[in-house]
Amino acid sequence: MHFLAASIESLGAKIVGWFVVGYGIFAFLTQAVLLLLHRSTWNRATYDVVIKQVYFTAIQILPVFLGYVWVISWLLISIILSTARDFGLTEFASEMTIRVLVLELLPFITALFIALRSGSAMNTEVALMRVNNELDALAHCKVPPMQLEFLPRLIGGVVSVIALACLAGLLALLLAYLSMYGLTPAGLELFTRTIAKIFDFRIVAGLLVKCALFGLAVTLIPITAGLETPKKLFMVPVSVLRGMMRVFFVIVVIEVVSLALKYI
Amino acid sequence: MARVALDLPLRANLSALDNIALIPLYQRHYGAAESTRQALAMLDRLGHGEIAPLRDPDMTPAQRFVTQLARALILKRPRLVIDRPGAMLYDVPYPRFIRQLAAQAELTGTWEIYDFSWNQVLYNQALYSE
Repeated sequence: MHFLAASIESLGAKIVGWFVVGYGIFAFLTQAVLLLLHRSTWNRATYDVVIKQVYFTAIQILPVFLGYVWVISWLLISIILSTARDFGLTEFASEMTIRVLVLELLPFITALFIALRSGSAMNTEVALMRVNNELDALAHCKVPPMQLEFLPRLIGGVVSVIALACLAGLLALLLAYLSMYGLTPAGLELFTRTIAKIFDFRIVAGLLVKCALFGLAVTLIPITAGLETPKKLFMVPVSVLRGMMRVFFVIVVIEVVSLALKYI
Repeated sequence: MARVALDLPLRANLSALDNIALIPLYQRHYGAAESTRQALAMLDRLGHGEIAPLRDPDMTPAQRFVTQLARALILKRPRLVIDRPGAMLYDVPYPRFIRQLAAQAELTGTWEIYDFSWNQVLYNQALYSE
């Protein structure tokens, strides 16, 4: 009986904990959006920090990222093409490639890449800022941390994930064309017709919304996890661990919901 | 009231200059160049312009204190409180060091030091040595 009560209590505590975390993330996002709509937010200083964030999150990693995308895309395109040939379904190979790679896998990989590289760094930095009282010091100087530290990271994350996913998609399309038709313009008409058939307004809007949500997940969740850190240095790794687990969970949920909405 | 205290540290990933320039940039909405100029002028006034490019982990305790002091002074608040300077300035005889900084700064306003009573002797020594 005691075991049952303890289990129910523990489950209840976990569910309440999840609600508290969810509320914290939602409240932070609301605050960020309200500030985003405020005219005073858009000064030169904020623009500068946003540009710096986009540079650190997207441009600095571009060669490595495109290298990964090149390898993954080339491998998957080769697998899809050879399988399609084996089953005599070559005419569906280009559509399959676009749907699997450009719409699903590459945005997901982009989000994971940014989460591992920038999300974990953000989580650690915000946690350290909190533990070291740097946020209190900024508040004492009446420098708004949301404007200086958090909002530029949110915008940078969203812009970076959208831009990198688009770039990865374009690279995959180019590779798919070259793998199927080689260096001739012979298949251009058929290939572009397939692209036009798949990329209707609903799909493009869905892809953009999904990438934006990925971008928010890989920045918003690490920042809020960092802000939740108790003021104890040994809690910083725990905060990063929690934050990154939440990011992974949310990214998977976004991907699953997007797939369900498209294909079920 | 502006405070210089151990529990109000600098932003670790910004240089001394950027830490100070944040105040005119975000509070008074000056441009980046003008904010930087004001920050550098403040450091020069305290006689430590050379620490401008240093980040917090690269500073000595005295340099860190000067940056924190410059940040507090640029706030232009009527009172300046230095809270337990011994905790921040453990590498210099601090009563004399603060006195020198105050003489160099030539700013209006009141500077107040809150310190443990058993450190009173250090302030007395600094007074007698001048």
